[in-house]
Amino acid sequence: MDELIYTLKQQIIEALNLEDMKPEDIDDNASLFGEGLGLDSIDALELIVMMEKNYGIKLKDPTQGKEIFKSVAVMADFIAKNRTK
Amino acid sequence: MIVCVAHNIISPLGVTSAENYAAVESGRSALKRYDGLWGLPEPFVASLLDRDVYTDDRYTIDERIVIDSISRALKETTIDVTSSKVLFIISTTKGNVFLLDKRETGFPQERVRLGMMAREITKHFGNPNEPIVVSNACISGVCAQIEAMRYLESGDYDYVIVCGVDVQSAFIVSGFQSFKALSPEDCKPFDANRQGLNLGDAAATIIYTRKNKVDDYEWVAYRGAIRNDANHISGPSRTGEGSYRALKVALGGLNSDELAFINAHGTATSYNDEMESIAIERAGLASVPVNSLKGYYGHTMGAAGVLETIISMQAVDDHNILGTRGFDTLGVTHPIDVSNQNRATEKRAFIKLLSGFGGCNAALLMTKGGQR
Amino acid sequence: MMKHSVIITPEHVVVDGNPLMHSEKGSALLTELYRNNIGDYPKFFKMDTLSKLGFIASELLLNTEGNRSFEPREDRAVILFNRNASLQADTAYQATIQNPENFFPSPAAFVYTLPNIVTGEIAIRNKYFGETSFIVIDDYDEKIIMENLRNAFQDPMTTSIIGGWVDCSDEEHFEAKIFLMEK
Repeated sequence: MDELIYTLKQQIIEALNLEDMKPEDIDDNASLFGEGLGLDSIDALELIVMMEKNYGIKLKDPTQGKEIFKSVAVMADFIAKNRTK
Repeated sequence: MIVCVAHNIISPLGVTSAENYAAVESGRSALKRYDGLWGLPEPFVASLLDRDVYTDDRYTIDERIVIDSISRALKETTIDVTSSKVLFIISTTKGNVFLLDKRETGFPQERVRLGMMAREITKHFGNPNEPIVVSNACISGVCAQIEAMRYLESGDYDYVIVCGVDVQSAFIVSGFQSFKALSPEDCKPFDANRQGLNLGDAAATIIYTRKNKVDDYEWVAYRGAIRNDANHISGPSRTGEGSYRALKVALGGLNSDELAFINAHGTATSYNDEMESIAIERAGLASVPVNSLKGYYGHTMGAAGVLETIISMQAVDDHNILGTRGFDTLGVTHPIDVSNQNRATEKRAFIKLLSGFGGCNAALLMTKGGQR
Repeated sequence: MMKHSVIITPEHVVVDGNPLMHSEKGSALLTELYRNNIGDYPKFFKMDTLSKLGFIASELLLNTEGNRSFEPREDRAVILFNRNASLQADTAYQATIQNPENFFPSPAAFVYTLPNIVTGEIAIRNKYFGETSFIVIDDYDEKIIMENLRNAFQDPMTTSIIGGWVDCSDEEHFEAKIFLMEK
C-alpha cells in the first residue's frame, strides 16, 4: 500500500502540474480539495482521466469523485480494490 | 443608431432565416444521437449538418457555410462588398481545428489559423480590409455584434458584416465529453432533470449599418456589454457576477416591462442555468419571460450569439415568445419564468444573454423601431 | 493615452523601455520571470503557454503601475490580440486524442483551447469584473489594434485597458507586446 501511495502522489503531481511539490509534501490523509492541496473542479476531472489511464478504472458517475478524492489514502484504497491494470 | 439590414442562418433546420424560424416555431429540433461517429468511443447527441452537402475542394466546411450564409444575406441588399467601407467580423471558437488531426489532408495546415480562414472569406468576396476574428469562447457571437456596433459608431465603416460559425469535430466533442458536460439525450434547459448540453453546427450572419432615422419595422442593436466573473476559467460564478453586470449595463435605463423576453444561454448544464437564474434575479428581471434555443440547435458556439439573436428578432416580429424545448419543471433555485410553450407578446425588445469559458459574459439589448 | 508597456520575447524582456535582466530563454524564461517577480501563484504552472505569457506580461505591467490593491473593479478591460489563437494548447490537446489506442482526452488541456482564457486568468488574478475580449488577426497590425481599443472606450464604464499583442505558436516561440491605456 505504501508503494501505491507513493506512486499515486507522483502521478497526481505530474497530472496536475503541481510544479513545486514533492511526494513527501503531500500528507496521506490531508484533503485534496479546498484547504489541503487546493485542487479545483478541472483537477477532479483530470484525476478521473488519470485513474482510467493508469489503473483502468472508469468512473460512471463523476460525482463519485467527491468521495474517492477525499485524500491520497482513500484514493489508494479505492484503486487497490478496483484496478484492472 | 445601429440597424440590422439583413440576416441569414445556415443550420440543419434550414438555409434561410425564415426556414429556421418556421422550424423552431413549430417545435422542430435537429438534435440526433450519433454512435461511433468520427471514431469517438462514446455516443453523443448533436445537431449536425450533412457533411456531404458542404464538401468542397476549395473551402473547408466552416468556410463554405460562412460564404453561403453571407452570400444569402447580401442578396437582400445592394451593398458593394468590395468597398473599403465594409468590414467583415467573423465570430468563431475553433474554426478549422479539425485540420490539426494528422489524418486530415487536402487543406493547407495554415488554414487552422482563424485569421487565415477569415482571409479566405474576404478574398472570396473581394473585400480589401483585414477581417477581424472575435474568439471569445461561447460569447463570441454577441461580442462580434458589439464590435460591429462600435466600428459603425466610430464612423469608420458604412457596413459591418458579422458572421458566426462553428462546425463540430472529434476535437470539440471529446473535449466536452472529458468535461462530463454533454447530455446523453436531448438537452433540457433550466429543467430539474437537465444532464448537460448538446453541441451543434451552424453559420449565421447579420449585416449592420448606422442610421439616424429608424423605421418602425427595423431592428436596432441598442446597447451591449461584456463582463467577467473574475472567478474561475471553466466554472461560472456562484453569484452570477459577470452576467448580472453585463445585464445591468445592457438594460441601462430601459424599463424591464418593455422586454418581451430574455433569450438566455440556457445550455442545460447544471452550473450555467443556475448561474443565469441568479444573475437574472439580481438584475431585477425575474418577471421577464426567459427562453433558451439549445433544445432546437444544441450549442452552436461561435454561431450561437448571432443565430439566437436572429431567431429572437423574428419571434418578436411574429409577436411570439418561443417555448424552451426540453423544459418541463423549473430546476434552478431562483424563480425565473420559463415555459416549453410558445406565448404571445406585443412587446418590442429583448435581451440576448451569453456566458462562456474564461469567465466571460455578454448581454445585448435589441429593440424594434426608432422611438426610445 | 498609453501609460506603461511590457515586451517579452524568448530572448528579451523590456519594461517601460528598459531591459529586464534574466538568464533563461524560451519557456524557461517564463518560469524564471514567475519565480523572480511573482512566486505566490502556483496556478501559473497549470496554464498553457499563451496564458503564462499573458499572465507574466500583465504582472510586470501592473507592477509598474504600483499600488496593487487587488480590490474588485469594473472600469478596467482586458482586450488582447494575436495570430495563432490557442494553437499551442490545441496541439497539446489534439495529442491526447490523436491515437485511438491511447485515447484519453484531457480536460485540463481542453480548457485552454480557447484564446480568451488568458484574459480570464488576468481578470481572476486582479478581480477585474470589466470587459474581457480576445481578437485574432493574421498579422500584427498596430493600426487595427489601436482602432479597436479606442472603440472599446465606448463602453460606459471602461476607463482603462490592458491591451495589446500576446501570441505563441508553441512553448518556445512567443511574443507579448502589451500596454496599459487610459481613456
